[in-house]
Amino acid sequence: MKRAFLGELEEVVLLTVAALQESAYCASITQTIDQQLGRNISFPTVHTTLQRLEEKGVVSSLMGGATAEREGRQKRLFTVTAAGQRALMECRLVRTQLWDGPAIRQIPTSIIQLWEA
Amino acid sequence: MGSLITDDEGFPKPPRWAVWLLSHFCPGGLEDELQGDLLEMYTYWLKTVGVSKARWRYVLAVLRLIRPFTRSRASQTKDYTHPEYRQFERWSNDVRTTFIVQPAMLPNYIKIAFRNLTRNKIYSFINIAGLSIGLACAMLIMLYVKDEVSFDRFHKNVNNIYRIAKKSKHNDENGSTGFLQGPRFTKNIPGIKSFVRVQGGSEDIKKGTELQEQDGVLHVDSNFFSVFTFPLVDGNPKTCLTEPHSIVLSEDAAMKYFATTEAVGNVMMIKEDTTFVSYKVTAVAKRCPQNSSIQFDVLLPFNVSDTDAKDTHNWFNSFLSTFVVLDDKANLQTVEKQMQRFYVADAKQTFEEMLKNDGGDHDLFSMGTYFLQPYLDMHLNMMEIFASNSLTNASNPMHSYLLSSIALFVLLIACINFVNLTIARSIKRAKEIGIRKVVGSDRKQLIVQFLGESFLLCTIAFVLAIELVQLLLPLFNELTNKALVISYLFDTKLIAGYSSLYIITGLLAGFYPALVLSGYNPVQTLYSRFQIAGKNYLQKSLVVLQFTLASFLIIAACTIYAQFNLLTKTDLGYDDTNLVLINKQNLKHTDAAIFENELLKSTNIVGVGAKNAGAWATLGKNAVGSTIIFQNETIDENYLSILKIPLIAGRNFSTAYPTDPTQSVIVNESFVKAAKWKNPIGEIVKSNHSIYHVIGVIKDYHFASLTRKITPQLFSMNGLYGAYYIKIKPNTAAASLKWIQKTYQQFYPMNPYSYVFKNDENRRQYAEVEKWKQIILFGAVLTIFISCIGLFGLSVLSAEKRTKEISIRKVLGASVQHIVTTLSIDFIKLVVVALIIASPLAYISANKWLQNYPYRIMFNWWLFASTGLLVMLIALFTVSFQSIKAAIANPVKSLRAE
Repeated sequence: MKRAFLGELEEVVLLTVAALQESAYCASITQTIDQQLGRNISFPTVHTTLQRLEEKGVVSSLMGGATAEREGRQKRLFTVTAAGQRALMECRLVRTQLWDGPAIRQIPTSIIQLWEA
Repeated sequence: MGSLITDDEGFPKPPRWAVWLLSHFCPGGLEDELQGDLLEMYTYWLKTVGVSKARWRYVLAVLRLIRPFTRSRASQTKDYTHPEYRQFERWSNDVRTTFIVQPAMLPNYIKIAFRNLTRNKIYSFINIAGLSIGLACAMLIMLYVKDEVSFDRFHKNVNNIYRIAKKSKHNDENGSTGFLQGPRFTKNIPGIKSFVRVQGGSEDIKKGTELQEQDGVLHVDSNFFSVFTFPLVDGNPKTCLTEPHSIVLSEDAAMKYFATTEAVGNVMMIKEDTTFVSYKVTAVAKRCPQNSSIQFDVLLPFNVSDTDAKDTHNWFNSFLSTFVVLDDKANLQTVEKQMQRFYVADAKQTFEEMLKNDGGDHDLFSMGTYFLQPYLDMHLNMMEIFASNSLTNASNPMHSYLLSSIALFVLLIACINFVNLTIARSIKRAKEIGIRKVVGSDRKQLIVQFLGESFLLCTIAFVLAIELVQLLLPLFNELTNKALVISYLFDTKLIAGYSSLYIITGLLAGFYPALVLSGYNPVQTLYSRFQIAGKNYLQKSLVVLQFTLASFLIIAACTIYAQFNLLTKTDLGYDDTNLVLINKQNLKHTDAAIFENELLKSTNIVGVGAKNAGAWATLGKNAVGSTIIFQNETIDENYLSILKIPLIAGRNFSTAYPTDPTQSVIVNESFVKAAKWKNPIGEIVKSNHSIYHVIGVIKDYHFASLTRKITPQLFSMNGLYGAYYIKIKPNTAAASLKWIQKTYQQFYPMNPYSYVFKNDENRRQYAEVEKWKQIILFGAVLTIFISCIGLFGLSVLSAEKRTKEISIRKVLGASVQHIVTTLSIDFIKLVVVALIIASPLAYISANKWLQNYPYRIMFNWWLFASTGLLVMLIALFTVSFQSIKAAIANPVKSLRAE
């Protein structure tokens, strides 16, 4: 399974890790995706995605921050690595390039407005 | 999902078993964070989606997070200290596949598996033969059990059909009823929708000019076809039985009488008393399914005269089966209560009158309690209310259990063979395993490989088993009294059953060896320092288990054999050889004498006696007034001498005493005992409003089957005869029978003639025991066979393993005898242990079985001793076969190469 780029799910999770900054751990990430994106991605899916992201080296993790709510269990807090930041930027770049590229421009604006509707 | 457990604040906690599952099967190093995260998620779900969904999601998440579905963190110990996005591509190449089967290795696995099979042919044969026999047994028994369980289920409305049954004062249950129960209950109890009465019997039907006695005739109410689902080939199911002189034939009967199934409209002549009455065929029914309790060839409408329908005495005459259909909404208990209430109200007065007239007392007779027996309950009923009384094929559920457990035993023993042989032989494959591991095989991959091999064997065995089933089905049908066909195998449920059987067998046989073999240490195996671990208790105990099962079955078979012998060989107390029995109902004493004299004109006939047909029990009192229940028999003066029943006191009936036909009775020993008479001759018996004097006492004889105790019997000449007992000269059967038939037809041209030999009839009573005997015998032979081929395989391997040892012993001067003993003693010890375990178990269960018989064999120590000896000899023979071969081999051959 060769994948030299971020998958869509990976991108969403990675972005959420970035957005949550200091408090990004599996449960909070799943809940944020659920609330803000309205997408029901299951907890185990997020868990494996995070593992894969860590393998790819775009996030790193350390343990810490037990609370009473979780009966004193430690959290694994994730942060985006430099490689991760670069990967995110690259993703965004690819998209803007595509959007701003000549191919899309040829489509009349009226049709793109229809897409938005 | 387990019960709800709430925490201190009243919030329900996640399912405890799921928490436990996660804590035990969590991927290494992840427990803390996962438990914590999931708890948080759970509280979140509680708020957003509610308790039940939250619990459900929690469980789903746990199931997905536990091993083997998630990898542990331990395998991810890569150095991410300098993560570079450019390297990301390179790493991702490194991500391991999650499959345990490497596709590239598959051809190799298959090749090795086949090489192993062909290399050691004995081993492959033992495993495949054992497994296929085991599987074939299991398949046959599944077929049998499926048939038993599906019995009678083809009726559309079957869950609402019940049979009316009655419980007597002493809790004797009886499924037969009379004319009144059906119509009166249906009319007066709202929960009962309809009823149908079924009375079986035979009719004399004219076929051409010939008179035939047709069995399988049922008299039924006209709504028979709306209650039961028997499809018709031709005719209207609603109206075919409404006319009094209509007749419905089965396909078979239609073929028999009209040579076509298009028989509707034809006329048949059926004998009624002394004239023939014509019946019109109104419908032809398909042949009854073989798994049906109701089997018929001819259906006739049920006719009850008005006087019978009004006479409340008919509450107490029971001779037919009444089925009722309950309303969907009716409550069974309520209906039963209403039935009983109505019955008591309707019949109480008649009952009291009858009791008064008969001089009976309330201690012996009560009105009884009516209840409803579900239709589906009849076929496998262990109690007295099985499918009897014009219903057929009742079956003992013990047969199902017995057959299933034998199949299980055989399959288990075959699996044990597989496990034992694979592990014992693994020493030869230790190097292969070592090499595989060194070259990079994972333990999981090895497990998959070995499981695959066991499934390969299982597949071969499975195919063979299907062939075997096909081959053995006719034999099996005979043994179990069924008509199963191979096409029944292609039933979705059965296919599912067989597939699971296949998978279970494959796993059962292959899992443990796969686990053990894959665990070998490569370093040890490759340095040739490898020994099969220690004493190998597992193998030993499995062998013990096999032989325990085998000897248990052998002892059981011997016991049944001996008991069966006892039943067939016991002196019945009378002479049943060369005794022909013919029936003629309602004969008076004078008529019988004329017929007897006519018969005696042939020199082949030794003597003729007459007796009543069937048996009925009644009761009477002795002079002191105590009640005795006895069999009331009517005989003539010749009966006792024809049957050679000895008198122990008094005299036989004789024409010299004119009062004999009305005032004298003869009793048996049991009667004397029951009446507590010291000197029985001259004592008085009061019964049926008459007073009799005892003139003789006969020795007890087994008038009923040996499975019953001899009860008191009373013989008088005061009654009607129903059967002739004709003693013929030995070896004149053909001539005598011809003479008897000729005479019979001359005297009673309107009666169909049939005869039985009394000793044949006696033997037939033990058909049930005979069947048990055969089943157990088959089981015993199969188990001992499979156990022995397993033992043989083990001894082969053990001799191979010890080749060098044996050679050295020989070189140092050991005799062949000594070596054989050394090689055999280990196995013989195991067999002895098995015998010690099996004997008491067999003793207890055989004893329990024998309690069913009032006349039973005594247990002898030699039964166990001879079984032990037999098993030991078989085992010794099996083992010594290989030991001797090893012992006489030339030691040079094995020692010269090192």
